[in-house]
Amino acid sequence: MIVDAAWPVVVQAYLRAVLVDRTHLLLLSFAPGWHLLDLQGDPAFYGLAPEAPDGLRSLQDLFVGLPLDRDQDIPFVELANGRSAHVHLVADRDAFHVLLLDAEEARSHERVQQQLVHEAIIAGHAKSKAIGQLKDIRDELGRQRSSLEEANALKNALIATLSHEFRTPLTSIFGYLHLIERRATADATAAQALQAVRRSATYLFALAENLLEYGRGESSGALLNAVEVDLGALLADVEGMFAPLAEAKGVRFRATLAHDDATAPRFDEVKLRQIVVNLLSNAVRYTTRGEIVLALAWRDRRLAVDVRDSGIGIAPEFIGQVFKPFNRGAQAGSKGAGLGLSIVRRLVDQMHGTLALESEPGQGTHFSIELPSVAAIAAGPEHASTLRGRRALVVDDDADVAQLLEVLLEDLGFEVRVLGDAASAVARAMDESPDLLLVDVELPGLSGNAAVYQLRAQGYRGPIVSLSANATTDARDASLRAGANHYLTKPLNLERFVAVVRRAVGEGAKEAT
Amino acid sequence: MTPLTHKVCMLGDFGVGKTSLVARYVRSTFSDKYLTTVGVKVDSKEVALPGRDPLKLVLWDIAGRSALDAPSTSYLRGASALLLVADGTRETSLNSALNLLMQSRSTLPDAVAVLAVNKLDLVERWEVAATTLSELRRSLPVFETSALSGAGVEEAFAEIARRLPG
Ligand SMILES: Nc1nc2c(ncn2[C@@H]2O[C@H](COP(=O)(O)OP(=O)(O)O)[C@@H](O)[C@H]2O)c(=O)[nH]1
Ligand SMILES: [Mg+2]
Repeated sequence: MIVDAAWPVVVQAYLRAVLVDRTHLLLLSFAPGWHLLDLQGDPAFYGLAPEAPDGLRSLQDLFVGLPLDRDQDIPFVELANGRSAHVHLVADRDAFHVLLLDAEEARSHERVQQQLVHEAIIAGHAKSKAIGQLKDIRDELGRQRSSLEEANALKNALIATLSHEFRTPLTSIFGYLHLIERRATADATAAQALQAVRRSATYLFALAENLLEYGRGESSGALLNAVEVDLGALLADVEGMFAPLAEAKGVRFRATLAHDDATAPRFDEVKLRQIVVNLLSNAVRYTTRGEIVLALAWRDRRLAVDVRDSGIGIAPEFIGQVFKPFNRGAQAGSKGAGLGLSIVRRLVDQMHGTLALESEPGQGTHFSIELPSVAAIAAGPEHASTLRGRRALVVDDDADVAQLLEVLLEDLGFEVRVLGDAASAVARAMDESPDLLLVDVELPGLSGNAAVYQLRAQGYRGPIVSLSANATTDARDASLRAGANHYLTKPLNLERFVAVVRRAVGEGAKEAT
Repeated sequence: MTPLTHKVCMLGDFGVGKTSLVARYVRSTFSDKYLTTVGVKVDSKEVALPGRDPLKLVLWDIAGRSALDAPSTSYLRGASALLLVADGTRETSLNSALNLLMQSRSTLPDAVAVLAVNKLDLVERWEVAATTLSELRRSLPVFETSALSGAGVEEAFAEIARRLPG
């Protein structure tokens, strides 16, 4: 009897319809151990399959940890088929019954209401955060306006992109020129045209590189993108570019390479190329007879670059001027932007090299440049030994960058270990507490910032330096907030790198904030 | 034979990622759509720990409620463990999680409790300070997790399993 027998029969029937039919009542009776004894209603409505071996497992799971000899009531249970039901357990003497009552309609109703409320609250949070962020951005803009450094960082990024954009099409122009010139069956006019194209392309190349370099401004220190340089390939490239130009003027062109140091030469290849291209452009422009010689020599961890020509030479009174920008007229008959040699001087300085110039009017000019390998700079005498035996852990997925960092740190005296992913770096750092942790921010999977945060959240106190290609203040702040002590941008400024590493190791950890 | 089974309740403010963590752990899926949980959804997963018999965790994904409500004791009853979930980008959700832990202690004095601070993939926007978590670690196991990337998720549940009687 579902309700009081004293009630009128029609009311009883009505209530039965409401309580049983409309709620899709399902009744399952069990003996202890969940042995199904009896079943009334439609189990499929709730996605249950009592006949299948595990068809009632989800019901059974629902009562894990609960006593089966006491009545239970679990409202709004989402079942495997997505329907919501109120689930009741009714204890019996040697058994128990499970009742399911459909709650889908009430649940949908409730969900719509709550969803609105929750979304409003979350949006409110996001809004107040966004307003806070806007305030920050306004402050930031104010700061940026007064910060030349920031503007420079942006400019550098733009220039780096542009420089790349220029180089790519020019490379293909040179490639095709080479291809066409090899099929040297052209008549005189065509050959001349090709020469003209080559001359113009070379000029454009040098000009673009120079303007871009000049646009970089008087950035202090060496922004280094050091890689292992294939000197033979470099030589072949510039020879391919300049030999035809020289020969077209009746000037001989020779290029030689001495490779006497067993270690691999490491330089900022773009800068090195720019130096050579500028010197050769100059030589070709001012030489009309005789020869031009390029000699590269790699020995004692130094690269000597010698460019000798038998051109018009430079009068002694002009020697001091040729390294100034826009020095039109310093060399008789000069044309062009006059940036070449000033840029060579700057690049050589940035690379911590030396430059010497000898010239005799009417006889020729000789530039000799010496560049120390990147690693040799890092290990300069003032840095000697104090860091000997310290342990550094480098986390970078870019093998080239990791290798560069390894070389630099080793030359500073560190014992270096390199890992390629953040997750294993967290475990390793917690384990070994290195004296210095260098983490790339842009790692695949767990980001460098997340790893740094995790370390600080585990109480890691060692010094951490983050490295990123992102030069914005936002990116820097995010890294420092995650718990890094210092933030360095790529390409590396070598002096800054060395200074930061020394500072980081010297001052020890700061409390993460 | 059927492995030993334990009830584990997910507790935390709405929107912190309780449903998402269960989805990541049990089904290796993630959705960025937010659908409010009403009532409870029960999922289960077997955990094999080295040197132990496998355990079965029955996960109760309970409707996200704010810390102002007492956790529905009818849902908590019988639980052996709690996975408290906070959202690293909302500092208040950490307080909620800790409040929920304290409130649930009256019903479940002995339950294993582990804290998951979720949305690690958004670490740049986190409000919760690393030092706060290193402090909290003295009193309960803490995991930074991301239901989106999966980071820390297995580890958090495995820690629960490790602390449950086998
Ligand atoms: N970025 C990110 N979003 C997440 C993460 N976990 C959950 N979410 C999102 O946060 C919102 C709330 O997640 P949900 O699991 O429904 O939270 P619940 O109310 O605690 O169950 C949803 O939009 C999810 O997609 C996470 O680890 N990272
Ligand atoms: Mg939910």
